[in-house]
Amino acid sequence: MKRQGWVLLLAGVMLLIGLVAGVGAEEGVTATEIHIGQWGPQTGPAAAWGSVARGTDAYFKMINERGGINGRKLIHHMFDDAYNPAKTKAGVKELQEGTGMFAWVSGVGTAPGLAVRDYLMERGVPWVGPSAGSLHWVDPPHKYLFAVYPLYALEARALCRYAVANMGKQKIAIIYQNDDYGKNGLKGAREELARHGIELVAEVPVNVTDSDLKPHVMKLKKSNAEVVLLWTTVRHAVMTVGISKAMRFQTQFMSTSTCSDFPLMMHISKGAWEGVIAATFAELPDSGYPLLQTYKQEAFDQYAAKGERWGLFYYAGIVFAEPLVEAIRRCGDDVTRERLVQELESLKDFKGISGKISYKPFDPNDPSCRQGQSQTFLVQCMAGGKAKQLTDWATID
Amino acid sequence: MDMKRDYYEDVQLFTSGVVVFWMAIMLAALAIFPFLATSYYIYMANFLAINVIVVIGLNILVGYAGQVSLGHAGFFAIGAYGTVILMTEVHLPFLVALPLAGLIAAGFGFLLGLPSLRLEGPYLAIATLGFGLTITQIIGRIELFGGRQGLHTPELFIGPWHLESDRDFYFLLIPLTILLALTARNLIKTKVGRALIAIRDAEIAAETLGVNLMGYKTLAFAISAFYAGVGGGLYAFVLRFIEPEIFTLLMSIMFLAMVVVGGLGSIMGSITGACLLSWLDLQLRNILSIPYLGKWLEALSQEWFSITGVSNIQLIVFGAILVLIMLFEPLGIFGFWIRAKKYWKTWPF
Amino acid sequence: MIDFIQMLINGIAAGSSYALIGLAMVIIYKTSEVPNFAQGEMALISTYVAYMLLEQHQFPSYLAFPLSLVFAVVLGCILEFTILRRAKEPNVLGMIIITIGIEMILMGLVSWKFGAEQKSMPFPISPYDSVMIGDFFVSTLEVLTLVVALCTMIVLFLFFRYSRLGMAMKATQQNPMAARIMGIRTRRILMATWGISSLVGASAGLLLSPVIMQPYMMWDPMLKGFAAAVMGGMTSLPGAVFGAYLLGIIENLFGGYISIEFKSVVAFAVIVLMLCIRPSGLFARHYVKKV
Repeated sequence: MKRQGWVLLLAGVMLLIGLVAGVGAEEGVTATEIHIGQWGPQTGPAAAWGSVARGTDAYFKMINERGGINGRKLIHHMFDDAYNPAKTKAGVKELQEGTGMFAWVSGVGTAPGLAVRDYLMERGVPWVGPSAGSLHWVDPPHKYLFAVYPLYALEARALCRYAVANMGKQKIAIIYQNDDYGKNGLKGAREELARHGIELVAEVPVNVTDSDLKPHVMKLKKSNAEVVLLWTTVRHAVMTVGISKAMRFQTQFMSTSTCSDFPLMMHISKGAWEGVIAATFAELPDSGYPLLQTYKQEAFDQYAAKGERWGLFYYAGIVFAEPLVEAIRRCGDDVTRERLVQELESLKDFKGISGKISYKPFDPNDPSCRQGQSQTFLVQCMAGGKAKQLTDWATID
Repeated sequence: MDMKRDYYEDVQLFTSGVVVFWMAIMLAALAIFPFLATSYYIYMANFLAINVIVVIGLNILVGYAGQVSLGHAGFFAIGAYGTVILMTEVHLPFLVALPLAGLIAAGFGFLLGLPSLRLEGPYLAIATLGFGLTITQIIGRIELFGGRQGLHTPELFIGPWHLESDRDFYFLLIPLTILLALTARNLIKTKVGRALIAIRDAEIAAETLGVNLMGYKTLAFAISAFYAGVGGGLYAFVLRFIEPEIFTLLMSIMFLAMVVVGGLGSIMGSITGACLLSWLDLQLRNILSIPYLGKWLEALSQEWFSITGVSNIQLIVFGAILVLIMLFEPLGIFGFWIRAKKYWKTWPF
Repeated sequence: MIDFIQMLINGIAAGSSYALIGLAMVIIYKTSEVPNFAQGEMALISTYVAYMLLEQHQFPSYLAFPLSLVFAVVLGCILEFTILRRAKEPNVLGMIIITIGIEMILMGLVSWKFGAEQKSMPFPISPYDSVMIGDFFVSTLEVLTLVVALCTMIVLFLFFRYSRLGMAMKATQQNPMAARIMGIRTRRILMATWGISSLVGASAGLLLSPVIMQPYMMWDPMLKGFAAAVMGGMTSLPGAVFGAYLLGIIENLFGGYISIEFKSVVAFAVIVLMLCIRPSGLFARHYVKKV
């Protein structure tokens, strides 16, 4: 009897020490929980991107259902910033200084992200997978910022390379959104074509608020482009393709991964999207890739709200969170920020549902040390929103 | 209500000892606040203070001179970009760059004020609205301004003082806000203010009395643009990053809403209006975590609406607040204040 | 030359939808002097009602579209009755804020109910079919929009000129007090105005919806319609229509020949210039204020 009492006491003390150690270990980490923050526009003009945050939420719930990571549950804190940087900063500060986040994941938009980047970096809070393929994240690189989304320029390169090398096209034009996103695509296309000694035959900017794209399409038509790159929002891409159809302007359209959700694109374009080639950064919604199917069944089917759609934006939320989850898993019991950074840096060819992700030890002069994903593959939209794979995953330099 | 016997009574800052007492309390509270609050609340206070500055300026134009503007985000943007560019490219210190950027904005305000001589009501609204939209397009076009990719603000030094944290900035911002508010208040009490009010109430009558319409209308635009410009310059450093798309039409609308909700032609009203609406703007995102109400709203969405769009309740609540305040008190919060004061003066009758 | 004519055609096509919204705004402004910033969202919610009937309740389209128009009329009347009529001592600024508040509420309701994801309206005419006249293309939907816009204008013109209700509206607008004395129920007239305006706006929304449906789709057309109305003089129906077509054409020519980047804002620059010359728009008589 006496011995048992000792054992119990010992166990109790150990537990207490464990708890205290757990509490003192790191901000946002306790013996049973890890707090992860995220922002995403649920209201405002960019609200269509809001499903990214909801996707991450379902993914975390799935992990928790399976017992969490090494016994700790992931507590997901997401808030709506309406794509307004002032609100993003307010929300990030509130959560970081109130509850205390261990790390941040995803976060939609270049401008909102840039408003909080310095704040998070100065505090040494890791931030994994901003959902925008901007150069701002990796050039110059930051120790605690890990980009997942392939650079916009990279997709443009892949598409141009395919158009020139595989399809033998010479006349390539681009319609791009007049912001960071579009300009990066433009830059990528120019650089890639310069290698082949070709110039873009037309560069047509479009503003986010434009509602009449006929002048833009006329410009494209006049250039007689054989290939038109679409570096715009979903809405403008659909309008461009549709108006071209109405104007009997026949050309091969190629689009960014933003518009690679073919079932959605076919639906809202009323079928005009057929034949468009797109770059993608993740497996396709209807692909039979086993891990993707697991996510669909265990995360989406279980936790998605009524009316949610299993689309690209939704599981992009999973893509951006995968490396973070993997790194926390590798941390074992020692969940600290320094350890997390080490584990992220040691990721080599990690394969989730996107292309392979690798990071390198921090080097302030090497942007690629924080750009995890540089792979893409091309698909073509077929009747009924089915996708035909044109190339395999390929790393674009 | 109060009888003013001479001019000096009208211009004096504190009408009674009670006012002095409460002002002192408020100043003390403002001074102690940053030592008690976390950085998040200080950031919020900074954000509020900037809106207060802009709204006071806009009230001079809308409330006192009776001109409408839906383009103040444009002046705000000019101030923000002006300050940052003057600091990074011309290497001016912040305290010089900020008022200079304000003056640039005032110059644009003067220009925009010119057509206002002939326009009113919806015509002026659409002209100013167009200005606000065009400015961001132009800024986005100029590569020096970082184009569409935006600009990061430089490190902020005032003499040897390095302003790093929100708290440091708070100590710069709050005195500045008080200074600008007092300036506006005094301005209204002078010849300029009386001329503006005369123009608002009866343009032609004012003109016959010798008020220079052109001078004062453009002056009102310039002053109000100056305030917006200074606010913009400060905003850039609160956010530490600016890009053209931040300065939307929605922002202009918000400024105007703050003025009207606070109360036209009242500095105190502007302060409360700006604080109330910008606080709501920041805090409404937490509406679903209010106990009971949040659960109920979620259940409601599940049943009748969609759970994916549940955050849009913010918009509904915000819109409803605007509508209700305007329905019950066209003079805004200031109107409520006046009514409450009257009620207590004559109480219990 | 072919380009030029094609741009003219495109401009007229774009102008038709501006014209409908512009007309809707003018109808309200004429009678109550409220620049109605909620116009776009009133059209939006009616459009989504049509979508809901078609997609979620499987109504046939010959029922769903008229029903959504009826809804639009009712919505307009309700808004006037419950909100605008209650405004005490209305001044223009207060009214602007109230309509902006209504705009937010309606936008919030639509996004709450339908989410932000783009939707596809099952419209009988595809927006991407076109007819060819000689060398020029016009999309069929735009032909329909043009016809609707012109018909609406003619009907409105006849309505204001010959019908009793229309006459009563005119009387109310010219002198509310006198109209009241003459036995016109001015408040009901105001309510009817809002209903009619909402109907006209909703038809614009329905005609814009086949291209793409999302909660923010009416924001830009609303501003352009407002601009067109201001250009035409804010109180003149033909003025709004003329302003709308002028705006559409200027935009397209400017985008085609000068700068496509500034296309979306050129309309406002033109308006400022035009207003400097004619401060009350192209068609309205300049109203001289007396002391």
